Amino acid sequence: MMDYLYQLIEPLQSWLFQALVLPTLHSLGFMSYADGAYDATGIAVLGIAEVALIYALIRPIEALRPAERWTDRRGARVDVLYTLLYRSGALPLLFFLLLGPLLNSVDIGLRTLGYLPPNLEELIPGLQAVPLLAFCCYVVIIDFSLYWFHRAQHRLDWWWALHAVHHSQRQMSLWTDDRNHVLDGLLHSFWLAILALLIGVPGAQFAAIIFLMKLVESLSHANVHFGFGPVGDRLLVSPRYHRVHHGIGVGHEGQARGCNFATLFPVWDILFRTANFAPVYPATGIRDQLDGADYGRGFLAQQGLALRRMWRVMLRARPTFP
Amino acid sequence: MPRRSCLAPLLFALALSAAASARADIAFVLNSKDDDMTLIDTTTYQVIKRVPTGKEPHHLMPTPDNKELIIANAAGNDLLVVDPITGEFKRRILRIPDPYHLGFSPDQHWFVITANRLDRTDIYRYENGEFSLAKRIPMAKTTSHMAFTPDSRVVFITVQESDQVAAIDLPTQTVRWKVGTGRQPAGIWVTPDGKHLLVGMTGEDYVEVLTVADGQRIKKLVTGKGAHNFLPRGDGRHVFLSNRVDNTISIIDMKSLQVVETFPVPNGPDDMELKSDGSELWVTSRWINRVSVIDLQTKKLKHSIRVGRSPHGLYFHDHAPRR
Repeated sequence: MMDYLYQLIEPLQSWLFQALVLPTLHSLGFMSYADGAYDATGIAVLGIAEVALIYALIRPIEALRPAERWTDRRGARVDVLYTLLYRSGALPLLFFLLLGPLLNSVDIGLRTLGYLPPNLEELIPGLQAVPLLAFCCYVVIIDFSLYWFHRAQHRLDWWWALHAVHHSQRQMSLWTDDRNHVLDGLLHSFWLAILALLIGVPGAQFAAIIFLMKLVESLSHANVHFGFGPVGDRLLVSPRYHRVHHGIGVGHEGQARGCNFATLFPVWDILFRTANFAPVYPATGIRDQLDGADYGRGFLAQQGLALRRMWRVMLRARPTFP
Repeated sequence: MPRRSCLAPLLFALALSAAASARADIAFVLNSKDDDMTLIDTTTYQVIKRVPTGKEPHHLMPTPDNKELIIANAAGNDLLVVDPITGEFKRRILRIPDPYHLGFSPDQHWFVITANRLDRTDIYRYENGEFSLAKRIPMAKTTSHMAFTPDSRVVFITVQESDQVAAIDLPTQTVRWKVGTGRQPAGIWVTPDGKHLLVGMTGEDYVEVLTVADGQRIKKLVTGKGAHNFLPRGDGRHVFLSNRVDNTISIIDMKSLQVVETFPVPNGPDDMELKSDGSELWVTSRWINRVSVIDLQTKKLKHSIRVGRSPHGLYFHDHAPRR
């Protein structure tokens, strides 16, 4: 499937890269980054194409079968900006520039110390010849790691201060998946990059995994009134299942700091007793919003307020001395 | 000494069996971003098969006896060894850190690897088909391509992000000299008389001509933006050079040290391979995921063959002599 998708975007990727990106890199003396920039161009084209695809597929369902009927969509609009910033590659590029040198040092340090990332294909004979199976193994490993990443986002107070940007959306829609604090996004990128480094996920498979996850996540955030049924909901995260995670008083504030943390496979929630399969479609948001707590309306306000919340948490956590 | 894999990948061998039975002259194209290679019948220009290699294969070359073809998996930290004629799996050599570029000295005693991400050059002794590490030499940022002197005493390494060329004495495994160059030196070639080095400046539009003895710059040959990699025409006099940004290939006369011709090749020409009869130049077109076959009579594009993503190294057995 990914090969077909790459073929679809290839002419535009190639043209954009050769007409704009490559001459710019050459004139600035950054030709060493040409390969990475070619990929980044592809990611941007693929990201925008994916947004168009998601909009074409999911928006009609939101209109036909919404979980909530809104009088207007003003509250959802800011999420469009988040989506464009993330999927056009603008924020991922920023993350790459910030994290690249650090990750490169880690990579070099590990290899210099003699740690060569284990090849899953090395450990499991025959996997090399079946890329699809290797791909599935990497999907499962990454999804498992993201489950724990997500739990930490809710469990650690300073992190929740950032992650609350994502949860403060009262009009959750197909655009909400990318509504994240920039620092939260940076940590997410760092987590995935370190994981990819440690277990040696091939670049092409990594891009495909992210593409797949984003498709499922866009759907799971959509304002739609459906699940995948009693069995399906236990196999793949559905809009209904994930709505419970965003539900006021349930998703974060519920028993033991929330439920339904899985990105793709609810099996992690089942195994670690955080699953909630109640057939409900709760209103989304954070409980203190009902008491007037302000998480900001625009992008900058949301980003700034989150930092302030995080700062307060960190001050509170400082040890006091007599 | 790197250990060999004791787990012969049976499925890999099975995947190649069709190719092995075909016995056509096969072009091997490394798809560096797809972790596989495309096998192409060079007579029909049809893709025979795509076969997994290992992670991030960039460059490949045959062993000195031409009986094995070594594929370097940079991110996989291993070398895949296949039959250079059939593509049949032979073995995998594990625990070779970051093998980006690779080369054998002409006397076949040394095997050199540039560890592009680790900023070093690893030198192995090569005896009876076995590799044993002689020395790891730390270098400046991003070691890239290499070339040997005809007497096998020196290997020259381009150091891409540090804009350097370094000469390493092979018997002692020490750096003899290093010199600054233009931006992003990549491909490097020693002229047949053993006197000059040609260095492709990927961040510029020219080739620098250096002396082999001490790296003194004696000339600049303007070729095209993104001057990158070399392949000899096999006549002992001319060498092809790919220009990745200008989408051209230049032919350089190694005797007169002049550019004699430049012709277009689309979409980021990178590595090249030349048919033994000199009729066709095969080029990996990195920015469109294809291999371009150029008719050297007309200098026109004859075939464009779709391969995998970011095609880089290219090889076929029936190639022109490397001189």
